[in-house]
Amino acid sequence: MSSIEAPAAAQPAAGFRLPLVLRFALREMRTGLKGFGVFVACVALGVGAITGVGALSDALNAGFEAQGEVILGGDITLSRMHRRASAEERNRLEQWGRVSETATMRASARTLDESEQALIELKAVDGAYPLVGAVELEGGRSLDALTRAGGAAVHPILLERLGVAVGDSFRLGSATVPILGIVAREPDTISDRVTYGARVFVSLATLETTGLVQPGSLVRWRYALSIADRSTAGLAAVRELAQRALAEAGFIIADRRDPSPQVTRTLERLRRFLTLVGLTALLVGGVGVANAVATFIDRRRKVIATYKSVGANGRTIFAIFLTQVLLIAAIGIVLGLALGLLVPFVLDTLYGEALPIRAVITVSPWSLLIATVYGILVSLLFALWPLGRAETVRAGVLFREEVADERQWPKRRIVALTILAGVALVAFAILSSGSTLTAIYFTAAVVVVFAVFIAFGTLVTMLARRMPRPKPAEVALAVGNIGAPGGLTRSVVLSLGAGLSLLVAVALTDASLLEELSTRLPQQSPNYFVLDIPKGEREAFGAVVHREAPEAVIDDAPMLRGRIVRVNGTPAEEIKASGDAEWVLRGDRGLTFSDTLPKGSRVVAGAWWPADHEGEALVSFEDELAARLGLGVGDTVTVNVLGRNLTARIANLREVKWENMTINFVMVFSPNTLKAAPYNLLATITLPKEATLAQEAQLARALAKAFPSVTTIRVKDAVNAFEAVFAKVMVAVRVAGSVTLAAGGLVLAGALATAQRRRIKQAVILKTIGATRRRILVSHFVEYLLLACLTAALATLLGSIAAWIAVTQVMELEFSFSGLAVVEALAIAIGLVAALGGLGTWQVLRAPAVPYLRSE
Amino acid sequence: MRQTNPLVKLEGVGLTLRSRAGPVQILRDINLTVAAGESVAIVGPSGSGKTSLLMVIAGLERATTGRVQVADHDFLGLDEDALARVRGAEIGIVFQSFHLVPTMTALENVALPLEFAGRADAERRARELLDEVGLTPRVEHFPAELSGGEQQRVAIARAMAPGPKLLLADEPTGNLDGKTGAQVIELLFGLQARRQATLLLVTHDPALATRCARTVRMADGRILSGAEERTAA
Repeated sequence: MSSIEAPAAAQPAAGFRLPLVLRFALREMRTGLKGFGVFVACVALGVGAITGVGALSDALNAGFEAQGEVILGGDITLSRMHRRASAEERNRLEQWGRVSETATMRASARTLDESEQALIELKAVDGAYPLVGAVELEGGRSLDALTRAGGAAVHPILLERLGVAVGDSFRLGSATVPILGIVAREPDTISDRVTYGARVFVSLATLETTGLVQPGSLVRWRYALSIADRSTAGLAAVRELAQRALAEAGFIIADRRDPSPQVTRTLERLRRFLTLVGLTALLVGGVGVANAVATFIDRRRKVIATYKSVGANGRTIFAIFLTQVLLIAAIGIVLGLALGLLVPFVLDTLYGEALPIRAVITVSPWSLLIATVYGILVSLLFALWPLGRAETVRAGVLFREEVADERQWPKRRIVALTILAGVALVAFAILSSGSTLTAIYFTAAVVVVFAVFIAFGTLVTMLARRMPRPKPAEVALAVGNIGAPGGLTRSVVLSLGAGLSLLVAVALTDASLLEELSTRLPQQSPNYFVLDIPKGEREAFGAVVHREAPEAVIDDAPMLRGRIVRVNGTPAEEIKASGDAEWVLRGDRGLTFSDTLPKGSRVVAGAWWPADHEGEALVSFEDELAARLGLGVGDTVTVNVLGRNLTARIANLREVKWENMTINFVMVFSPNTLKAAPYNLLATITLPKEATLAQEAQLARALAKAFPSVTTIRVKDAVNAFEAVFAKVMVAVRVAGSVTLAAGGLVLAGALATAQRRRIKQAVILKTIGATRRRILVSHFVEYLLLACLTAALATLLGSIAAWIAVTQVMELEFSFSGLAVVEALAIAIGLVAALGGLGTWQVLRAPAVPYLRSE
Repeated sequence: MRQTNPLVKLEGVGLTLRSRAGPVQILRDINLTVAAGESVAIVGPSGSGKTSLLMVIAGLERATTGRVQVADHDFLGLDEDALARVRGAEIGIVFQSFHLVPTMTALENVALPLEFAGRADAERRARELLDEVGLTPRVEHFPAELSGGEQQRVAIARAMAPGPKLLLADEPTGNLDGKTGAQVIELLFGLQARRQATLLLVTHDPALATRCARTVRMADGRILSGAEERTAA
């Protein structure tokens, strides 16, 4: 008996079953990849996006590790606020290796006539700085020689802001410093977190002459060490030693293996987020996979029937086509991996110089594995269902034309396999994203978006079918096509919907935040933050402000910086904080004390202390962070401030309205706790609404003249700096959204290509009964326009809901709607559909009638 | 009798198509006149050019040489859209493969040419026609939901909808079983007679050909006999 059916499963024949199936699958592929272009492209794009994210992250991490020493400025660094290392501490450090001491702080640089001033990030260095790498100055000058001569090397932007040139001098605190060089590149910017101002280098000796360093000034003292035993074990030993010997000194210690834990964490978070965005693109592309497989199976019905007529059973046929689909998916995956691997190369070539770290091109097998597994699982998830229809084709179609029933369900086994692929995909997303909650939210969002768009597509189809036939024939044709079974409606809605929703959500979130920053915030926020006002000069400061601006309102608070070292006696390093609360435990925090509840706060648990509280040290904690750290009233927090550990009991929790930009702190201590410590004041100055820019500038000049050591920061500048950072994040999210939209475009192109033969035939029939080309063109135009508008409308709705949740619930800001975002979504939808559909229509109108009319 | 004003007049028509192997002559020097109200069968072996001749008369294929005149329209001077308008008003076509618009219901398919013609009563008229072909219960069905015979009846109703002077049918029973085919033919001839339309029918079936008043025989792209109107029955 000759049959291509493999022996029954009970026989030990599994060994040759696979080659048989593979042989047939390869024979099936003799026709090439015709009809699978979109399938391959969709898989390649999604896998490419995921690989690209992984490869870039690997390259940056490798770069970070390779350059850790340079980034850090040594093997180990110890840093703390306020207090310079004592002679004893310095001695210890020198026992461990070569030491370089630096001091960084924010300050104001002023022109000699006090007419202009600019915020700077001051860095005072000793002769040993930098231990590793070099500060490059324009013209190749030496930083050491220049600072030793009492001069400053500055970032070029300062020259612009102050209107000065190299050779001119500027005022820094109470000193006059000549500008002797321009900074071209600095090795350890990342670990210094330069944010607002221009970098200025001076020597430590120069810093002393400025009078900026006073007890309580916000100066960060940093000690970089170059150790003798450079092995990892040696490094760990010195770190351990430093941690033990200087346990109470309040230093934050970092070493070259992880020079900036904050940057590492940010990179890791960004990688996980962008991987999920890549997965979204892959899932949208999955629709293209499903469409391609469904069309393929439909076209192969006669071949399938032939196989059946010569004895193949459903399972064998399913296995043959599944193998073929997996082979095609493998082509897409390999292409995607290659594409993704190019991403770090391309970015490094184009933007390498601008990146803070040079990427080191390496790819971890883990990154490739993640992308491959996602590629296989998504291909399976979307291909199994339409493949299942191959099993249900009856041999009878060879003898008689049958109409394929689109609604026919595949066998239960296929349904189970599809569900299994879905579950495996979710499990893998959880495993690879490292956050169960994020993966679950992501899955839920994807399921909801797909369900909404599928339901919407069905609804539109149904309504188009039920609505009374419009009078103009062109519109009637368009509506007929929209309502037709197997029409383009669902494809258009599903392919463009997800990407468009994402873009609308991003645009509206962006718009709300910009509205907040540019309109609402300035109306209620102060004009200036002033740092480092000596506590003894509080009255004098108030007098100068009110002399220049009698109606100005001043708010001030004592400010010190310190870090949490223990919570309920447990060292901070050992505490796992939930969510994004870890930052509170990992660095310096601003601290204050007050006998009254600060403005913009409300006690939500416990009670505020009496004005003259004496005895046990008390602290008030911000309630949201307290919840994430698992803290409540009665718990204790130990803070190292000015090198002293200080334990306070939580007396109450406060709800804080941060967005008002009034002075506020995570931790507010009872005055008896910190009053004796040397501290400065932080103040805000709010001018009347009608104050002009000139008046604002005049006040700043007067303050600089009267108090050379204070630093004034225009709130507008701070907001602008934040806007710039936010804009970069939004660009990244927009790019990610565009990849999803590109996948949608591919799916749409595939769906249109599949429908093309049917549409040409329809046009030909219409021509035979008297339709002119204009009529066909108009009917297509109306159909595409209606579909694009409907999709854009739903995407706008979904995107708005997502943005509303993000803005009002997550960011706790006011939501503002932007018509522009809607117009943008509409334009993209119409643009894409018109471009792809228009191309199809052009071919439809050019197609000759006769070949389509002759009997098939 | 009906010599004056023939509805269809072909003079020296030739059709040459290009193929990879070079030009292929499909029709050669065709001269044919058909009077209004006549029924003509076109017969001949496969590849003899029957369907191509029908396509040329429908204006779906342009003659390479010669002159085609249908219902006083000279096809030579008409562009593609003008030809479409002529078809919409004067010509109804029935195909072997039905060629209904799959995305439209039976009713919509029949109403379509009437809507193109801007007829306000398109739907009512389409219902009447579908009733006439016995499909009232199936008006809201899509082509895929209809049997072959039913689809062909919809196609005939659609062809007759604008009240064409000329009805072209290409193997209208070719895809149907014998019984259904016979029913469709009855319908076709019945409608032609009632509407006094001219019928040009391409067929392989000699019995069917004899039901027409005249038979044109073709072979190798030429008309062998029956090119002229009969002057006597």
